[in-house]
Amino acid sequence: MTPSEELVRHLPTDMGGLPADRIDCSDHELLPWEKRCHALADVLDYHKILNTEEKRRGVEALGAEMIGKLSYYERWVVAFANILFQKQVLTPEELALKMDDVAARHAREAQA
Amino acid sequence: MTHTHDHTPITVPDGVPGYYEIMETAMRELLAEKGIIHPAEIRRQIEVLDSRGPQLGAKVVARAWIDPEFRQRLLANGRAACEELGITFYDDTGLIVLENTEKVHNLIVCTLCSCYPRPVLGLPPDWYKQKPYRARAVREPRGVLAEFGTVISPEVEIRVSDSTSQLRYLVLPLRPAGTEGWTEEELAALVTRDAMIGVSTIEAQERKVR
Repeated sequence: MTPSEELVRHLPTDMGGLPADRIDCSDHELLPWEKRCHALADVLDYHKILNTEEKRRGVEALGAEMIGKLSYYERWVVAFANILFQKQVLTPEELALKMDDVAARHAREAQA
Repeated sequence: MTHTHDHTPITVPDGVPGYYEIMETAMRELLAEKGIIHPAEIRRQIEVLDSRGPQLGAKVVARAWIDPEFRQRLLANGRAACEELGITFYDDTGLIVLENTEKVHNLIVCTLCSCYPRPVLGLPPDWYKQKPYRARAVREPRGVLAEFGTVISPEVEIRVSDSTSQLRYLVLPLRPAGTEGWTEEELAALVTRDAMIGVSTIEAQERKVR
């Protein structure tokens, strides 16, 4: 099989049966923002805005490089943003401006 | 080969939130400002997540060990039987309970993402969500089990079940020998998360403790 055929056969998240490293059994307690991110996904699901399969496809749509480089909840939060843009619940501009606000608020709090 | 979690460790100097945390906060606040979600819903859901853990699954397993009729109902409809014990399925998923026997050992995985019986076990451990377990559990389950220190006799069939967004699995481990007459609470205390995923057995864990 050529490398390009391999890409077609296995999307980045479709990894069942692939060769892989030893299992690293260490675990970490979720950071507060990671738990909030999980809760946000569940709440959006309750509101019929974002279901589990959409989340999964949203992560897959990030592509192999981002999937490889972002942590689990980093992938989720970026996928949620993209899905909310596609569904026209939020716009990229709104989110960018709000992120600036939040960052500025944190900077003020850090100085105080 | 490419490793799926080769990201740099999350370093947040002096507790200043990083880019992704800022994105989470901004998204959540915008959704609340638009009236799409209410901040109290997030807090409530965090409480729900915190209330779920392997202790619930352990209660289900112990009940199945001592009550044959419950066991039958559990194997026929996992979700309905768990709901009998007051465990709600907040994520609206189905549950199939897989019974280990002298001839079959079950293992659960989600090769595509991280689907897991969250209502009864809580959130999955990191290794369950990472590539090595997801990739290898379906191809070389005995090798995977060995890495968890679990050796299943070659005569015993290993059955791997791949979860989906709508349907989750829970392993009903074999009741260890020598526990006749134990109470439900004593039995539940033996049951671990890993045994309900299938990467371990109860006997093996008992030996580790001694």
